[in-house]
Amino acid sequence: MLILSRKINEEIKINNDVTIKIISISENQVKIGIDAPKEMQIYRGEIYDKVRESAQIAAQKIKEIPADISKLKIKKLK
Amino acid sequence: MKISTFQFGELEFSEDKIITFENGLFGFEQLKKFLLLKKSDEIFYWLNSVDRPEICFPVVGVRVIDDSYPTVIEHEAFGIVTMNKNPLDITVNLKAPVYINQERKTGFQKILDSEKFQINYNLFLE
Repeated sequence: MLILSRKINEEIKINNDVTIKIISISENQVKIGIDAPKEMQIYRGEIYDKVRESAQIAAQKIKEIPADISKLKIKKLK
Repeated sequence: MKISTFQFGELEFSEDKIITFENGLFGFEQLKKFLLLKKSDEIFYWLNSVDRPEICFPVVGVRVIDDSYPTVIEHEAFGIVTMNKNPLDITVNLKAPVYINQERKTGFQKILDSEKFQINYNLFLE
């Protein structure tokens, strides 16, 4: 892994189209700004991992179809 | 083409029914071709891999859960469902919707930034 030291407002350039900027630093958190082409997908690592894991589980549990769900009500998102 | 599916048995279909996911789905990035199948009386659709027919995902149209769910023009949003023998434990992934353009037969999946949308959202009310 390439490791670079950066101060607040300093940037890292990746290719010609990605800029990563250190916005602020506190005791246990760094705020990072990323400029990248719209089609580039940028995710928080732990959420990306959870989404992938969730898909693996969904693919495994397809046989667990409950007997009768037709009478159940769908929970609406508030 | 003919594949053998979990939900629908032997299935014969024409190639124009195939929905192409250029980037695959999260966790299954290598799978690019799917069929979107549904039994008429069910809430769930089944997104069935063409390349590996044993892999399929139940999905549900997110509009039945949220009227104001983020839209993508000309696409329909689906959430991947994790089944459970207990219906109250069936969950939908609202965090990473699958968007499908049924006209063009293309689709993609993305992760929404909002904390409002959970990976394991319970589908049914107690």
